[in-house]
This record gives sequence, structure tokens and C-alpha cells, in this order.
Amino acid sequence: MNIEANITNNSVTENIVDPITFEVIRSLFDYTCERMAMVLQRSSFSPILADMLDFSNAVYDSDLQLIAQAANCPIHLAAMKFSAEAAIKKYSIDTLKQGDIILVNDPYSGGTHINDISFIMPIFYKKELIGFSVSRGHWMDMGGGAAGGQAFGTHIAAEGLRLPPLKIYNNNKINQDLLDIMLNNTRTPHFIEGDLQAHVGCLRVAEYEMQQACERYGVATVKKVMKQVQTYTERMIRDAISKIPDGVYEAEDYADTDGISSEKVKIKVRLDIKGSNIIVDFEGTDPICAGAINSPLANTMSAALYSLQFFLAKDAPQNQGMFNPIEIRIPKGSWLNAEWPAPTIACTTLASTKITSAIWQALAKAIPDQVTGSTCSECNWFVSSCLTEDGRVDVFSDLPAGGWGGTPFSDGMNVTMDPLGNCMNMSAENAELLFPIAYEAFEIRSDSAGPGLYRGGLGATFKVRFLHGGELGMETSRTLEGSPGVNGGGYSALQRSSHIMADGSSKVIGGIDSEGNWHNPLLASHKFGANETFMFESTGGGGWGDAKKRPVNAVFEDVLDEYITIESAREHYGVVIDSETMSVDESATTALRAM
Amino acid sequence: MWRVGVDVGGTFTDLFAREEDGDGQRTAKVLTTRPDRSVGVLEAIKQAGIDIADVSHLIHGTTTATNALIERSYPDAAFITTEGFRDTLEIGRQHREHLYDPYQTKPTPIIKRRFRYTVSERMNSNGETERELDEERAKEIAKTIRCKGIKSVGIGFINSYVGGAHEVRMGEIVREYCPDVYIILSSETRPVYREHGRFMTTAIRAALMPVMAEYFDHLESRLQSHNFTGTTLILKSSGGVMTLDLARLHPEEQLESGPAGGVAYAGYLSKNSGYDRILHSDVGGTSFDVSIVEDGKGLVTRNHELQWEVPIIVPMLDIHSVGAGGGSIGWVDSGGSLRVGPQSAGSEPGPACYGLGGTEPTITDANLLLGRLEPTLGGKINLDMEAAEKAVAGIAEKIGLSVLEAAEGMIAIGCEYMAHAVRKVMTSRGRDPRDFIYASFGGAGSLHACFVARSMNIPKIMVPPNAGVASACGATVMDFRQDMETFYYSPVEGADLGRINEIYSLLEEKGRDLLKAQGISDPSRIELIRTAQMRYVGQSYEVDTDIPSNILTENDLLKIKAAFNEAHEREFGVSSESFAPAFVSLSVAAIGKMKEPPAMKPQIKVGESPTSGQRNVYFDGKWIECNVYCGDALPIGYEIKGPAIVDYEHACAVLPEWTNAMVNDFGALIITLEL
Repeated sequence: MNIEANITNNSVTENIVDPITFEVIRSLFDYTCERMAMVLQRSSFSPILADMLDFSNAVYDSDLQLIAQAANCPIHLAAMKFSAEAAIKKYSIDTLKQGDIILVNDPYSGGTHINDISFIMPIFYKKELIGFSVSRGHWMDMGGGAAGGQAFGTHIAAEGLRLPPLKIYNNNKINQDLLDIMLNNTRTPHFIEGDLQAHVGCLRVAEYEMQQACERYGVATVKKVMKQVQTYTERMIRDAISKIPDGVYEAEDYADTDGISSEKVKIKVRLDIKGSNIIVDFEGTDPICAGAINSPLANTMSAALYSLQFFLAKDAPQNQGMFNPIEIRIPKGSWLNAEWPAPTIACTTLASTKITSAIWQALAKAIPDQVTGSTCSECNWFVSSCLTEDGRVDVFSDLPAGGWGGTPFSDGMNVTMDPLGNCMNMSAENAELLFPIAYEAFEIRSDSAGPGLYRGGLGATFKVRFLHGGELGMETSRTLEGSPGVNGGGYSALQRSSHIMADGSSKVIGGIDSEGNWHNPLLASHKFGANETFMFESTGGGGWGDAKKRPVNAVFEDVLDEYITIESAREHYGVVIDSETMSVDESATTALRAM
Repeated sequence: MWRVGVDVGGTFTDLFAREEDGDGQRTAKVLTTRPDRSVGVLEAIKQAGIDIADVSHLIHGTTTATNALIERSYPDAAFITTEGFRDTLEIGRQHREHLYDPYQTKPTPIIKRRFRYTVSERMNSNGETERELDEERAKEIAKTIRCKGIKSVGIGFINSYVGGAHEVRMGEIVREYCPDVYIILSSETRPVYREHGRFMTTAIRAALMPVMAEYFDHLESRLQSHNFTGTTLILKSSGGVMTLDLARLHPEEQLESGPAGGVAYAGYLSKNSGYDRILHSDVGGTSFDVSIVEDGKGLVTRNHELQWEVPIIVPMLDIHSVGAGGGSIGWVDSGGSLRVGPQSAGSEPGPACYGLGGTEPTITDANLLLGRLEPTLGGKINLDMEAAEKAVAGIAEKIGLSVLEAAEGMIAIGCEYMAHAVRKVMTSRGRDPRDFIYASFGGAGSLHACFVARSMNIPKIMVPPNAGVASACGATVMDFRQDMETFYYSPVEGADLGRINEIYSLLEEKGRDLLKAQGISDPSRIELIRTAQMRYVGQSYEVDTDIPSNILTENDLLKIKAAFNEAHEREFGVSSESFAPAFVSLSVAAIGKMKEPPAMKPQIKVGESPTSGQRNVYFDGKWIECNVYCGDALPIGYEIKGPAIVDYEHACAVLPEWTNAMVNDFGALIITLEL
């Protein structure tokens, strides 16, 4: 059956598919990407894919324009296109055959950091190239100077095996030489084949679905809809942009350090909004730095786009159309346009989160009634090589989240992954079953959120103990200043890493200690002995609006639930609570709030 | 005597009754009564013309637990956990439901933070004590709980799935200070690993205990006052039944109590209707439920999420629900494309044609305009054609189509979304839709079944008898079921056979005891089904694998390995001989068979004509005069050629031109598609 043949009377021109067929096929593209994600999650082997969902999948048309994407990680949003382009630049389109799969992870060939590896497969229908399926996942360990690539050296070579576009499958036949090289260059060879199989399965699902679509609706119709979805999404995005007042809006944020020097590293952003176009200009951003926080072009583009997406048409189907109204200018030589051999391992987490925060603060000047406070603006991703009882080295990883900013309508979410991704944390019991560690805490941290009429969501206290010792690498920031609020909302608390000895004594190893000394929060191969514990305290989100206007009862409820302390209620919210009777002192509160 | 199935849903309370020793059948449908739903249960029995004294079994599906949970309407409960884990119930897995929504919020915690207490204690992952339970702190907590007047307490400690001694001791201390509270341990609720799911299930169970106790008290006293002498059984989410005594203890097993009845009916059909693999679909006003039924049984899942980050880890029938139904609203998005749902007009105001103030176009309005729904629904109601037309005209204009084209388009798009949902369910369970017959339940199901099935290349559709009261009907064919599970982690290579055999025999003994307590001890009525939850070493997900029921030997381990590879291949599409499989937990399902009444016979309305004239129906852009049939009067073997409409008491089937249908021996209408 061909629906198109039956409902054609109103087709305007022969290049446009009727609205019903359009929606039927458009929804099929979305569904295809969702199905890719299901296959990858359920058949992958490493916890970072199967448990933490650090991957994204997409379908492109034959001109390599994005058609649909299920981005579990928004930071993969635009970057996948750059990877696919690099692959096609190397292997020209006419030479590709059914069953070819190209992989690439080179940050300087459309990659971001070395651990994000992309697989690109051409899709043919009856020998005609109709598009590409692309699957990108974070692989646990690609070698390098420290587990998970978190070596924090000054050269990309320290971060692992950097693969240019290479065919891992040639006409359905595996490239064993390449696979052997990969197996030889990782701390976790046991994951490699299983994860590879999972990516391949997921690419093939897309191939099957797209071929089915051509079979059913005709290849010409499918190709028309591929073009049409792009103008459709572009229309939605332009419509949203034109509702934002024209103007130039600027903001800054910064990373606490690049891990090598103790200088702050600045991001400057300028949004130039005119009609239905936005220019995002990073002029004035600091130059490439020595440490591993540099962001390659593909990563910066992704971060800028997904950050805007939250306040444009958030439900718009994701495709090339959403990129067209937005021009992104990144000065050459800046740390947001990294060049070889600058190291980039922290770009997806540390750089992108600051880009979001800067862009949201700039947007807050344009649409203050819509924008939220800053999120924790960190992913707090650590990778650890831990020793097993028999002296083997195992690699595990987690990312204890912070809170989101207060919104114009409600408090921010507590302990939720930063906008850049949507990864789940490790289950403590699962982690203890798999690795020689013990989880000692993952609990809400009182007073960590920025105060406000709507306060930020809270951060967490996270503790993991090494049973037999190990090493840990981590990148984070917000150790000098918390997440900023908007419209008079306050800053959140500072983040901090600590090392707790077996006897319970502890010292701060990242952030500001009790004497006021600051320790560089980018940890590389920090060593822990047996039964020593790594503790991390994440921050909450920034507040929204004046905290003194928060209803007294909401403040009181927060105290009852120990989200905030009595001291904070008084200091930030002007609410006086009697700790003996646990009741609000109404007159003292009125007096304090009137001041 | 009557075996009575009752399904108390959100809007309607459905009843289906069968004679224990005859062919008699009765149905009834009344409005659900809130706050006390037991009133409606008795009304339904009365409407069916059955004397309560003549009821041998009242088999009851209930949404009371689910509603209380979703609305968080239960007395304050407390939760006690290991120091450092106070907020596991609130943090969940730290991810968000909507990728790009800056204003979203997380679900309200099941138990307020102020009533979540922590105590120093620790078991390691081998079940050995690392830190003793701090009894002083434990007593302090117990006193606080008494002071606050809390009625139920959940206790969940880290690694208690492998060593529950501290939870037991904590429970004893609470009991000392609070003799009348409900105390629920996570290690007893379900000793499986991953704290979030286990704690959440434990907290939910604790919170709902007082709610279910109150409901069952009301139900029992109402029944008693009408001289009820039969047995009341409650539907479990796993697809079995349990006695009231057990149901009082296990609200966490009743969260899909209603839908389980429909799947049970699909299971009955798969044994008796000539089709053993059934794709069960149920379309109501707001939701579209799908599940897979094979060889008489629905597939079971162990990681069902009732709401975002609210996992329930007891075995449940794998029923997937998406927001698509008769009330789904058609709308044009800001890019100019026609979309359908997930917003629904619900039952209030309902579709525009209900005339209750709804102005937005729904799938039901579209079906009415296209002549697929009869405007009086068999004389029950007067649907407002003008209101439907006005509602659909609004979107038709925006996309430049005629009203009829837009209405047909809405249905095409709605059906396509339903087909995507079904395919995702099939993908998640590694099944090929084309191996199944598509069985259509619910009021709105058969209006769309042909279009949904065509989109998936499924050639056959079944419209079973009693499709409008399927859950209540399914309740009358269910058996007792108890699921037991114990954590046992070991690679298959080097697994301790003695220990595995011991665990299985303990689980089976427990299963027999639980069935015995419910009145089933005859071995011929008991079936014990062993499975193991297995994965490849390093994976984080498990696959249910069938385990032989004999005393296991080395040779069986080879068979188990092969069975696991096969199950993994089926569920995930991949497997490998070179990866090492491992056991994660061992399970037994103990089935206690109910005495079977005579098989259900088709109840064909006598004296009524199978045909009832013609109606103009809009298909593929034009009006076609179609024969209309009276579904409840079609005799066995009756053949219908599409295009046609089949009207039933509580449903309506649309047969496009490219279909043929025949009534089979079971009384089901089997529709064949020309694909």
C-alpha cells in the first residue's frame, strides 16, 4: 500500500509530500533513532554505555545532512556531523559499499575527546545511497597516560589512541588489524568486542528501518521527506528566535583552571539576535591553554547549539534545520577552537558546561522571565583505576551530579546530570559487585543550592572507598565561585574534593580547604591507599529571583526536610526559625525581611 | 455458582462472570465509585443479576494501590537506611525525563526527606558485616517514629540482598518501640541487588500497606453483609492471583493489577483460539497498552518503571503504555506538521462530539466524521457531528486539507504512532511482529487495528469475544502465582552446583508453603517453574533463562549456557560463545492451578440478524457504502469481506477494503489483511 498515492489531491507541488505522509515518515525517522538507542543500550557491555547511556545515534541523508537524532548526550548533537564529514572526506562517497563501517575518534577530525568514538555506515536501497546511520558512544578506556584518558597532560598523545577515519568493516568483513590495535591499546580489552557488536547492531537497525521505509513509501518520497523535515524544523526554530527581542547580549563564565596553571580560563560570549537569526560569537575568549580542557570546534558547536535549544523550540525534531538560523563564530587560537596537539579530554564536560552557563546568562538579559539559574555546570566525571585483591587493575567511573538552577516556575532539580548529557550514575550495589570499591555515600548536600524565590536544586555528597587502593583522575570546577543565579537569585555553594584516610582524618585535594588555601581541582592519577576514601561535594544550581520573597512556609518546609539549615533560612531568606520549638518566629521574620 | 471477575478501572468497573459448572456468562459495566471503590464492585454484581450468595470466587483487579501511589495519597511513612544513602529514594539515577525542558521537575519523593532516617551499619557485597548496626542510633530512630505517629516503616540497607541480618535487627528494634506499625524489610520484599529499585519497591510497599488494609476491610465487610461465602482473590501484576490475606501484605504486587487481567485473557486465547503467539493491544480513551503473549503466558519483566525513576522490581507482566487513544488530540505544531497526542481530552471534557465542552479534535471525532463510528453508539448516546466537524476544521485549514482528509490523516498518524510503540516493545523483547496475531481489546482498539497491523506487516488480527470487558474476563481464567527469587552471583564456569540445587529446593519449598497457605496442596495442581537471571560477565542487564527442574549436574550447566546464549540472542539480537555467562539470581514461579470451569463457549445472540444495513464510510479519500454487521450476532464460520463495519456492544471494528474476516470456532473475528 502506498499512502501517498491515496491522499495526494492537495499536494501543492511535486516536490512537497502531502502533510499526512510527511508526518508518518517524519515520525518513522525519530522512531528509527530511538530504536537504535534501545539496541545499543541493551546489547552493549561496558557500564558507561549500558548503565550510564553515554551515547547518541543519528540518521543522515545522502548529502550528510542530519535527518533525525536520538541524542542521549546533547553534547553529541552537532559533533556527530563533523565526525561523519571527516569520514566521508577520507573515503569518498562513490567508493562506499553496503556493509562498510568507518570509525573515528580523532578530536581534530570532527571528534571531541578521544573516548567518544563514532561509527558511520552508508545505507543503500537497491544499490542507491539513501543516507548514513551514525552511532557515537563513550568508550571506557582508549589507552593513554591514565585510566579513561584523564591524564591531564599537555599533549593529546597522553589521552589515548587517536584514530583517524578508518574502516572497521569493509563490505561486512571486520578489519582485524585495526581491532587488534585497539585491543592492544586499552585497559579494558574485555569490553571492546561486545561494545563494537552493539554499535554495529544499532547501525544495522537503522539500515533496516530506512530500507523498509523506501520499500513502503517509495525511495523518492522518503528522500523528499528527508529534505522537508529540515525546512520544517528550521521554521520552528526561526519562529522561536523571532519571539526574542532583537539585541546584543553578552556574558562571561570561566573554568577554575586548566589543571596546569592556577589561572582562571575565561569564556566570553556575545549573542547577536536579529529577526529570526542568532549569531553566537566567542570573541574575547581566552587562548588555547596548556591543560586538557580545550574544546575542539565540533564540541564547541554542539555545546552552543544544545544550550540554545533549551530556550528555543525544545520539542523541535532535531535535524540540520535547527542549525541553519544559528551562526557560531569561534576565534581561531582560542581554547574553544582547539588545535593539535592541545589535549582535550575534559572538553565534553568542563568546557561545554561553562559554554552553557555563559549562554544562559546572556539569554537571561534578553528573556529574563524565561531563563533559569545556572546549573551546577559540571559533570564531575572521574575515572579511577582501582586495584583488585589479586593486584589486577580495574577501571571504573562515575559522575556525581549537582543541582539545576531555579526556574521561573519552580525550584531546580536536585542532583541531576548537567544539560550536556543525561547519564545515569552507578548503582552502589552494582559498582561493588563489579569493582573492588565500597560506596559510602551519595546523599543530598544541605545548603548547597543558590537561594532564590525559587531556589536552585541541591548538590550531593559522594564518597567511594578503595578496598585495596587505586588512582583517580577527575575534572571539575566551581571551586572558586558557585553557580550564578538570575534575576536576583543567589550563588550556590563551592565544589570540593577530599581525601579521607583510613583513620577518618581528611584533607581537601581540590578546591578551598578550611584554611582558605585553594587546591587545583583537576586531579590526575591521585593515589589512594587501601581503605582510603575519595569524597566529592557537588554544588547545586543558582537561584531564581529574590530569596527574601520566597514564601515563609516554603522556607520552613525546606528546613524540616534539611534541604537548608536554620542558619541559611535566616541569612539568605530572612526567615527566623526557633530551633527549640521548630516553629517560625513570625514577628522576627517580618522584621528581618523588612530590613 | 458463579466465578466473577471484576476490574475496577479509572472510569468504569467491569464485570464478567462464568458459571462454575455450566456455560452461562454475564457482563456488567458501572461507573467506578470513589472514594470507596468497593461500592461499585457490589453494584456491578447486582447489575449482572447475580446474587452475592451465589458467588464462589470473586476475582478482583484493583487500581486502588496504583492511584494512591500516583497521587501520593497515603499516611506519612518512614524509611530507614544505611548512613550515606538517605536520598537514594529521591536522587534516583540522577537523569531527567525530558532532555531539553529547563522547567521540568522530578516526581515527588515516595517518602518525605524528614521521615528518612539513617543509621551506621554496613554489609559488604559478600554479605559479611563490615560495621555493626549502631543500636543506640537505631533506638533513637524508633522513638522518633513513635513520636511522629507514623504508621508504616520501610527498612532498606545497602547490600542487604546478600545479608539481611541488620535489617532484621533494625526491624526488631522498631517493633519494640512501635508495636502497631507496619514494618517492611527490603531483603524480605525482594532480595535482589541495585539499591534504587529495591529501596523504592520497599518504600512503596510500606506506604501503601495502610491504604490497602482499609480498602480490603471495606470490601470484606460489604461482601459479608450480603452473605458472601465464597473466596476473594486479588489480581497480581505478575499475571496470577493471591488471597486477600496475602494481598494485604503485598500492595507492591498490585500495581498493574487491572491490565494483568487483559493479558491473562490473551493468554487464555493463545491456548484456546488456535493462535499461540498473540500481540495484545488495548486502546482506551487515553492510553494504548501493548504486551506480548506466547504459549498461554504474558512475558514478564523485572524492571518496570511505574513513573519516571519509580522502578518496581517485583516480576510484572511486561505491559507498555503510550499516550494514544480515542481521546488523543490532533494539533498542528509550530513547524506546521499535523501531530496526534499525547495530550488527551480524557473523559472530561472528552472529544468534541461528546458535547461536554470539548473543542479540540480527537481521534474519536475523526472516526465519527468518517462514518466509522455510528452517531448513537447503538442508541446509547447522541454524538454531536457538528461539533466534531468544527473541531477538525480548525486543523484542516491550517494544513490546507479538507475536513475529511484531515480526519483520515489524524487516524493515519495516530495509527502510525501506535505501530511505532508496538515495534519498540517488540524490539525491546527481540520479537518479530510478523510472527504474531494482533489481538485487539478495548473500546477503541478495533477501530484502528487494521491500520496499525498493516504498518507492521502483520497479516492477521483477532477481535475476541468480550473485548470490551477483557480484564474482568481474564480474571476468571487466572491461577495462583508466587514468585520467589534469591541472589546468587557466579560465572557458570565454576558455579557451585550443590549450592544452586539447595537454593532451588528452598525456593520451591517456600513456593509450596505459600500455595498451601492459600488452600492449594494437591501436587497435581502445582507447577514449579525455574528460571535464572543471567548475563555475560561485566554486563549490567540480566536475561531470564529457563532452568531444568531436575537436580542439576555439570551436564546441565552446558545446557544452561546454551539456553542463555539463545535467550540473549532472542532478546538482544547478539550472543557470543566467547563471552563468559554468569548467574545473577535464581528464581522459581510457583503456579497453583484453579479448578477449571467448562471452556468458554461463544455466546451468539439468538434471533438477531447478523447484518444491520449499510453505512457510508470514508476510506482513502472517498465515501464507500459499507455493509454493517452486528458483531454479537455473528455465527461461527460467518464470512465478511471488507470494506465493512462490525458493531459490538462495547466496541466497533473497521474493516477496510483490503481485508477479509471470518468468525472462528472460539467466536473470535479473525481479520486477514491483503498486504
